[in-house]
Amino acid sequence: MTDPAPTPANAPVVPAKGRAHSLLGEPKVWFCAMGLTLGLLMVIGLLSLIIVEGVSVFWPRQVLELDVKDASGKIQTVAGEIRKEQAKRDVSPDATIHHEWLFFTGNKDVTGSAFRFVDAQAIADQRMPKDIIVAERMEYGDSIFYPVSLKLADGTEIAASEGSFLAKLRAKIAEGNARRDQIHTIEADQIGEINDRVRKLEIERRKAITDDDTKLLAELDAARADVQKEYETLAAKAGELRKQMSADVLNYRLADGTARQQAVGDLLRVEHPNAMSWWEKFGVFLHNGWDFLTGAPREANTEGGIFPAIFGTFVMTLLMSVIVTPLGVIAAIYLREYARQGLLVQMVRISVNNLAGVPSIVFGVFGLGFFVYSVGGSLDRWFFSDVLPTPTFGTGGILWASLTLALLALPVVIVATEEALVAVPRGVREAAMACGASKWQSIQRIVLPSALPGILTGVVLAMARGAGEVAPLMLVGVVKLAPSLPLDFTAPFIHAERKFMHLGFHIYDLGFQSPDSEAAKPMVFATTLLLILLVVAMNVAAISLRNHLRKKYAVSTF
Amino acid sequence: MKLNRMLSRIINQTVTNSRRSALAVTALAAVAIAGNANSAPVEVDAAIPEYKTVSGVGGNLNSIGSDTLNNLMTLWAESFKAAYPNVNIQIEGKGSATAPPALIEGTAQLGPMSRSMKQEEIDAFEKKFGYKPTEIKVSIDALAVFAHKDNPIKGLTMQQVDSIFSSTRKSGGQDIASWDQLGLSDWAGRSISLYGRNSASGTYGFFKEHAMAKGDFKATVKEQPGSSAVVQGVSSDIYGIGYSGIGYATAGVRAVPLGTEAGSFAEATYENCLDGSYPMARFLFIYINKKPGAAVDPLTAEFVRFVLSKAGQQIVIKDGYFPVPAEIANEALEQLK
Repeated sequence: MTDPAPTPANAPVVPAKGRAHSLLGEPKVWFCAMGLTLGLLMVIGLLSLIIVEGVSVFWPRQVLELDVKDASGKIQTVAGEIRKEQAKRDVSPDATIHHEWLFFTGNKDVTGSAFRFVDAQAIADQRMPKDIIVAERMEYGDSIFYPVSLKLADGTEIAASEGSFLAKLRAKIAEGNARRDQIHTIEADQIGEINDRVRKLEIERRKAITDDDTKLLAELDAARADVQKEYETLAAKAGELRKQMSADVLNYRLADGTARQQAVGDLLRVEHPNAMSWWEKFGVFLHNGWDFLTGAPREANTEGGIFPAIFGTFVMTLLMSVIVTPLGVIAAIYLREYARQGLLVQMVRISVNNLAGVPSIVFGVFGLGFFVYSVGGSLDRWFFSDVLPTPTFGTGGILWASLTLALLALPVVIVATEEALVAVPRGVREAAMACGASKWQSIQRIVLPSALPGILTGVVLAMARGAGEVAPLMLVGVVKLAPSLPLDFTAPFIHAERKFMHLGFHIYDLGFQSPDSEAAKPMVFATTLLLILLVVAMNVAAISLRNHLRKKYAVSTF
Repeated sequence: MKLNRMLSRIINQTVTNSRRSALAVTALAAVAIAGNANSAPVEVDAAIPEYKTVSGVGGNLNSIGSDTLNNLMTLWAESFKAAYPNVNIQIEGKGSATAPPALIEGTAQLGPMSRSMKQEEIDAFEKKFGYKPTEIKVSIDALAVFAHKDNPIKGLTMQQVDSIFSSTRKSGGQDIASWDQLGLSDWAGRSISLYGRNSASGTYGFFKEHAMAKGDFKATVKEQPGSSAVVQGVSSDIYGIGYSGIGYATAGVRAVPLGTEAGSFAEATYENCLDGSYPMARFLFIYINKKPGAAVDPLTAEFVRFVLSKAGQQIVIKDGYFPVPAEIANEALEQLK
């Protein structure tokens, strides 16, 4: 990079002073190199910012305990993690600049806010206590505290000073986590299946009432009662498990001395961040990262994982590619191979190119008006009239979102396919024709395979565009919370009418709509990192597929 | 108690739907005068019942509407889903103005709104269905005026708020463009930087109606896509001021006490909302489509019952808003029948 323009060996002797550089073109080469460097720097800078901020979210931080003097001179003890250090803004004319910390104190259930600012000058003393615990909870976010004792369901109480305390607490938490999974299985799978049956019975019942079939009606009522009994057994079982969740109680005190209690079943994990070795921290880091990838969001998306969003993005992009590829390829084949090249085709081509420049939100509006309201509304009236006014397809859903994005990505695929078709050498076609192949046979067996790598390039670009698009999705089916996935194990397995979560929208939602913008900031970076990784992974998969095909049909010049 | 109930009933009977929001504060005040004000810390009214799950509830529940209520709806949905595992809840929150069309088109069963419906919106609904939408008060919000946490301002009168945000100044004040006009002598020449919401927002509508007497916003107001964005803007701009629901407060901002006249400022607390001394208290609503004389579909009804139960109102406090008094909850439950 320091010497971007090496002089070629046979370079002419410099003709005249002053014009030398411009004649050799050196400044222009320099200019190009600068452009590349600038571009690279921006990409690297952006990526490293996202990676550093996104990855550090999961690394356990040190907990500081501070004695802070308040305005009246009283000392107050707070414990927490430093999240940001900044110069305190003071605009009065004689102000001196000093620093303040954004301090994560947790314990939102006690103080109402998990963050506070601490003026660095007001700190009287600071320490790093080894025995302070950071606990992840189901509700109200993290808690930072000193343990006092663990009161078990059978009445025994283990003091925090006992050696077995932490092991016992961890064992109880593991028990609770297992129980939570068990409750989830009962409630989501077994009760879910029962509810499904109830709904079907209900629809049949309604039909029986309109048909005035008293015999069927009685049968249905009996079936309903059976199902109800089954439900009650399961619900009682789940209720029993839920009760067990609050049987063990942890007593603890906060840094300022407030005594609190917490059911062990509400705890997800406890750590001693100040007493951990690097490897232990690394273990926690991996664990946190894994939870983030595979967990469901909690607490209005500010806690927990983002699995539904990852899955939603993935399914939507896949569905979109499946829709857009045949459509785009067929259109391009007709345009390039069959249509008479004239004014009309030229105009169609110009329109397609212009379509690529239409703002994505316009596609969103079109999708809402056409797919959701017209097509979806009609589908509901024809096939799902028994559940109206509750809409089935007449509201945004993953199918409509995929179709809208497919329209959006269509020009990309058409243009790329056309280019790929043009690039197939004329000789190859003529050879096929000479062998007696019909036009379609030569397209199908000779031209298309050799154009395939180029077509796939278009699909890759379309996928990348689709996965990163947010604005149109907001109109046609992306929502803040949709814990039920568009693909699952209850019939009919693919739920094309369901709304879904999307990583891009999740970033927007966390950044601009979350209840505590401070708490959400790290999640924004982590989610951004993930979205980029997902797009890269899908592109790499498509590119390797393309390379594989290119080797197979080496004749292509694309 | 009896007096209490009568008062709120009388108020609700006399106030027509369209004018209800204008008198929301009065209704609140009446409840409080009748002796029901809670003292800090905020607690759910003891008369509000626990929620009991019923069987056979399942299906899709769609909610489209307010951004102010977005997180609250999500939190409710999370807990509701724990009670009814097979309920599939989907929540969208892009602004109160998106709720009426969604209810009319039938794309959602729940329409959370941070202002009451306008007459045109009710008319459009009535034209389609032949009856009015049902309004359910689910929470109380103190629409707060936020300033940067290091801003020393003691309080603002409503007229000052109008003069800061409005270009038409219907309350009759002089234009206020810099902080020294508000008595911060150290901040001479520092102009006020304004943050607000976009026009789809119910918060925007409520603020326009109640703080600016339906006047126009200044062109310099930076319109943000969400309440959280307003708070973020103010917390990173020491000369900033903006408005949003109290539930969005963070460590970086402070809610400026407000008052109708200089010297008598009220903090944005629950008691001040109930007794009416905080001038910008409002109800948050969920609108549903209920045919008169017919029962609401069980899923929607159970969700509303859950929201108005002890657990539901506890979640309101968790999100930073204020719970509704038992009278209002009971009255709303009455509407479901």
